[in-house]
Amino acid sequence: MISSDIIRGHLEIVILKLIIEEDRYGYEISNCITNRTNELFNIKEATLYSIVGRLEKKELIESYIGKKTHGGKRRYYKITRFGKAYYEEKLNEWHELKSVLNTLLEEKV
Amino acid sequence: MKRIKNFVKNTFKDVDKVKRDEIILTVTESLTEKVEDLIETGLTEKEAIDKAVIEFGTVEDYFNESIKFEKKIKRYKTLSHYRNDLLFSVVGSAIIIGIVIYTNLYFTPDILWSVIPAIGILYWPLAILYTLLNKRSNKKEKKDE
Repeated sequence: MISSDIIRGHLEIVILKLIIEEDRYGYEISNCITNRTNELFNIKEATLYSIVGRLEKKELIESYIGKKTHGGKRRYYKITRFGKAYYEEKLNEWHELKSVLNTLLEEKV
Repeated sequence: MKRIKNFVKNTFKDVDKVKRDEIILTVTESLTEKVEDLIETGLTEKEAIDKAVIEFGTVEDYFNESIKFEKKIKRYKTLSHYRNDLLFSVVGSAIIIGIVIYTNLYFTPDILWSVIPAIGILYWPLAILYTLLNKRSNKKEKKDE
């Protein structure tokens, strides 16, 4: 189980990526995160909704009401152009961070 | 589903009024979606709601990042602000006392009544000086600790 403090700063980009793949609704996002990490990390709903709310306020994603196969209503989230650009930028930052940490922690002197 | 609504309302009851309604609305909606999904996977409604409530987390989880952000904005009054206050009060009271003495000497040079308002006005810079000295000793104590 990964502590949420470490991953917190990167959750925004994770959620953006999941929404870029396809339009998703809230619970689907948290489900995806749990499944893909083999339950090593699961996001608390409270954290997820606050991040999604913030992303929407910053107009990086938009929401619309869509229908599910069984008739229930779902609020789906869709990426905006602005959000995609933001994602690319953050992704570059992440690659940089990764290589920096790699050189500092992994490589032998 | 009423339980979900009550749970969300109760969780966010201490939040600032302006944001509260919107938060409650969106969170209730998302949690309801989750409960519906869970019911589809075969849980009963009660089990589904229990699961959703347990996994939700706390208000701290919701606000963890935004609280940090708000803290940055808050500014503290530093010693130099108090010094400026003192300077302002000294100059201000000097001007007022000057005017009072002038009117006193110009119109009624026989009676020296201006002493009384002058003493009253002097309490303004005195009070500011008092707070400044207090702040200073507070700071010193903190440094010593």
